[in-house]
Amino acid sequence: MIDQRVFQFPGVRKVIIWQLLLTLIQAGLIILQAKYLAVAIVNLWQLKGVGTIGTPLAIFAVAFLGRHLVTVLKNWLTYPFVEGTTKRLRKQFMAKLFDLGPSVVAQEGTGNVVTMGLEGIDKIQTYLMMIIGKVLDLSITPWLILIYIAFIQWKEALFLLAIYPLIILFMVILGLAAQAKADRQYAGYQRLSNHFVDTLRGLPTLKQLGLNEQYAGNVYEVSEDYRKKTMATLTIAMTSTFALDFFTTLSIAIIAVFLGFGLMDNTIQLLPALIILTLAPDYFAPIRNFANDYHATLNGKNALTAVLDILHRETPTDRETLPAQTPVWTADDQLTLQHVNVGYAADETTLKDVSLNVHGFQKVGIIGASGSGKSTLINTLSGFLSPQAGQITVRGTQVPHLDQAAWQKSFVYIPQAPYLFHASLRDNLAFYTPDASDAAVAQAAERAGLTDWIATLPDGLATQIGEGSRGVSGGQAQRIALARAFLDDSRRILLFDEPTAHLDIETEIELKKTMLPVFKDHLVFFATHRLHWMNEMDYILVLDHGRVVEQGTPAELQAQNGAYVRLRAEMEGDEPA
Amino acid sequence: MKGFFKTFEHDHWVMPYLKRYKGLLALVLFLGFMTFFCGGALMFNSGYLISKAATHPYNILMIYVPIVLARAFGIGRPAFRYAERLTSHNWVLRIVSDFRKRLYQAVEKQAVAIRQTHQTGDVLSILAEDIDHIENLYLRTVFPLVIGWLLYLFVVIGIGYFNWAFGLLMLLLLGVIVILMPLLSVAVNGQREFQARQVQRTFYTKLTDSVLGLGDWLISGRRQAFLGQQDAPIDEIATLRRSDHYFQWWRNLAIQVIFGAAVILLVWWAGLMFTHDQAQANWVAAFGLALFPTVEPFADMSQGVSEWPVYRDSINRVNRLDEHEPVQVPQVTVGAFETLTLDHVRFTYPGAQRQVINDLSLTLRPGEKLALLGPSGTGKSTLLKLILGDETPTQGQVTVNGVPVAQLQDQRAQLFGVLDQQPYLFNTTVMNNVRLGNLNATDEDVRRVIKAVELDDLIGSLPDGYNTQVQEAGSRFSGGERQRLSLARILLQDTPVIILDEPTVSLDPITEQHLLDTVFDVLQDKTIIWVTHHLTGIQHVDQVRFIENGQFDMQGTPQALYRDNARFRALYDLDRGH
Repeated sequence: MIDQRVFQFPGVRKVIIWQLLLTLIQAGLIILQAKYLAVAIVNLWQLKGVGTIGTPLAIFAVAFLGRHLVTVLKNWLTYPFVEGTTKRLRKQFMAKLFDLGPSVVAQEGTGNVVTMGLEGIDKIQTYLMMIIGKVLDLSITPWLILIYIAFIQWKEALFLLAIYPLIILFMVILGLAAQAKADRQYAGYQRLSNHFVDTLRGLPTLKQLGLNEQYAGNVYEVSEDYRKKTMATLTIAMTSTFALDFFTTLSIAIIAVFLGFGLMDNTIQLLPALIILTLAPDYFAPIRNFANDYHATLNGKNALTAVLDILHRETPTDRETLPAQTPVWTADDQLTLQHVNVGYAADETTLKDVSLNVHGFQKVGIIGASGSGKSTLINTLSGFLSPQAGQITVRGTQVPHLDQAAWQKSFVYIPQAPYLFHASLRDNLAFYTPDASDAAVAQAAERAGLTDWIATLPDGLATQIGEGSRGVSGGQAQRIALARAFLDDSRRILLFDEPTAHLDIETEIELKKTMLPVFKDHLVFFATHRLHWMNEMDYILVLDHGRVVEQGTPAELQAQNGAYVRLRAEMEGDEPA
Repeated sequence: MKGFFKTFEHDHWVMPYLKRYKGLLALVLFLGFMTFFCGGALMFNSGYLISKAATHPYNILMIYVPIVLARAFGIGRPAFRYAERLTSHNWVLRIVSDFRKRLYQAVEKQAVAIRQTHQTGDVLSILAEDIDHIENLYLRTVFPLVIGWLLYLFVVIGIGYFNWAFGLLMLLLLGVIVILMPLLSVAVNGQREFQARQVQRTFYTKLTDSVLGLGDWLISGRRQAFLGQQDAPIDEIATLRRSDHYFQWWRNLAIQVIFGAAVILLVWWAGLMFTHDQAQANWVAAFGLALFPTVEPFADMSQGVSEWPVYRDSINRVNRLDEHEPVQVPQVTVGAFETLTLDHVRFTYPGAQRQVINDLSLTLRPGEKLALLGPSGTGKSTLLKLILGDETPTQGQVTVNGVPVAQLQDQRAQLFGVLDQQPYLFNTTVMNNVRLGNLNATDEDVRRVIKAVELDDLIGSLPDGYNTQVQEAGSRFSGGERQRLSLARILLQDTPVIILDEPTVSLDPITEQHLLDTVFDVLQDKTIIWVTHHLTGIQHVDQVRFIENGQFDMQGTPQALYRDNARFRALYDLDRGH
């Protein structure tokens, strides 16, 4: 009933012991409360006068208060454990994200990962908060009440005992049927409930097609369809609750009638009868509570599985194999890849048998059609992906992957759309070197050609940029990323992944003028579709379907008249008419 | 409380529906009331039953009625509850259908304005979420609250019937639970719950920011800074949650204590009231037990109400949506397309300083093909909006056959076809998606245009052919294929003017070449305005214009420009990799 993994959280034992103890006390108080209320009522029934109910009512009051105080106490004792555990889970989760890196996150989906870290862990919190208490309540309270009732009147106790498995049986049967049906319809639901957002997103297209007004009727119809389908499933899903409700309420009614007959036959007195009647709802309360929170429990369990799955992911080890030195890369160093295979999942290989050798401040162009593996190669060089097979040697040291602490300090990575943090422009520029002086930041911005633009900003370098703030054009984003390279002189490798694919030709030319001087004294890897960059490279890798089909200097490749020449011809297209 | 009334002062999203479906609403409330009534009545009746039985009546018939009633209430409670849950969900979902349609219409009317005020696409998800919130407002706040009050009135009046003074006492005592406690919850916890959502939202934004920039974090090697950044909101949320929980525990305890006091008073009162003879004394147990089943609905009221501030936020947002109805311009229709003219058009965005379009003039006749180039931010997209009538020039005008486009909005889908960067494919079949271009098109027509855009082989090779689902946002197909499907849609739409808004920006050069060849081949006889970011395929048009700072800069046929203009030639050669 409780997920076994809950027992592995530190501090859980203490909480369980406390809860156990308090649940026992609470069950005692429930019995006490019922008994003395019954005593007071029976005294009145026997016409003994209001004076005789003072003491029993006082005991009732104390027991009643005690019972609810114990609830608070239980919560109060459990909460620190729950809070501590969820906090720790959250922090572990964040640390794990950092260690796993962007390619794992990309696979899982950014939205998914963020939701898991926030709402997912919230659900775990709710789950932890209730599961221990509920399960203990279910496994202690009814049985203590039952034992007590058995002492007064064994026949009613037997009835209550007999009805219990019946309730559970029906609940399970109906619950499973409902679940099966709900599961079958779930995909359909998702589609229908997403339909609305889908429609809103597609509104500009609908408007272009002149269907925007007409479509309102469609929105309504789909929603009504959704309602009908939902109701069909709810009808079944709710029968499980209905069954539980029906059996427990009817049991109380039956007990009342039983007791009535017993009283008429004089086989039982009013006091015990009244106690049993008062206790009957409390006998059923734990199972009803448990069933009511079934869905929250299920959600919590699923969230726990998802979060622990991420936490148990393997992170690359041996991250310190490459000895540190500053700068990490110099003109005499060599990087060699031999027969390297890389893939996003264990059973598929995106890059196959890649071998290359670069040294010093070479400029390496990477060219190939969409899906040929250019980005995968860049991700391997940046250490975001670890090879499945093959050998990598950096500065004579053999490393299992490039996710090396020292290596990460050696390069600047500039993708198609460099990510800009929601922070000040200065913080974005100095992201790798937060301690850089203002003068250094300003100088780097100048070299990246940002000074004119910064002058137009209301707060200069302190202006907030990034999502939801001031928009930054694609060309400026590239310059900001470039400025990071200027700021950190120890980073002598530049990894470009289609940096200009989204830019218009004029912006690209301007940017190129700023970029070319940086290439000096840097090892450059430049993956692109834009052919004119190849003229600036002194070594070219041609990729096709994950393989390096040709490599060499531009002149050599031109002379070979092979894949490189063919690819260029195809990309250039027709001459102007 | 003031905020409560203020929220509903100009409300036209929540109240009208309470009125429209009042029959069903009354039914929901009745069923909800009966659920708890049966619960209480079962205990009341049972208490009486066994007390009566304990007096050993000479005949079983004396307790026959309570016996039957016990069963009736026993069956009644779950049955009513079942019916109530089904009816209330049905009611709410019915309203949701209305809501969705209305929200759609509100967004549709101001699609342009909304996109301007809210930059990201998130606004749509937020609005969709608002509808869920209003759904919950009914299910978790309104229904429990009204049903609780009905029950409260019933209990008070029932007791007041025997003794008005004691009834008054109960009115006050239970009033603390059903009126004072909910108010207190809104005041204390409501604010906190609202705050918690704010913190959560900020955390969400921050975390998304960090996760999207994870690569840079990793390269920066600032692991501690990354973790430190998340610590503050994690602790903040934990603190808010803790106070939230503490408040709930103590509030629930207070409710139970007041409830316990009510039970004791009731028993005491029954002892004074019904102990004159044995027949009366049978009612003592009835009163003593009847109150217990009501504690659950009473206690739930406070929790439901404390979620109010979140709902209020949503109600206000949707109400604000249709506050500003755009001004309606009287619409006319024009005949066959003759000219599209921009006459000294100037444009500045409302509230902005910079003039985006600065005195542009242009005339296009049937079959002419124009390419527009220029760095981002120079007004290319704005120019397209002006042509389509999404924006109105601050000076000058845009006309079709001499009629301003603002007056042709009803006819706009017959005049302009648009292929933009990310044309939207709806989550339905290929056939349905393409047919959106012209709902009267036959299957044969769809097949014809699919063949024209050279997708017939691909679609034919799919197991479900034309009935293949394109999946969410068309993810079944590649970027180039999605563009071709949209192109097919435009072919069916068959408008005289086609606007191409950087349709190839996310495609690789080979795919781009092929797509442009197809586009200009199938749209041979159309008037085309093509915004592009580079010069691939430029030979397809008969006029090229560069926009710089809101004005036309270089212009001419591509051939003439290449021959005479050094700058153009340099750009062109660079684009081809020379």
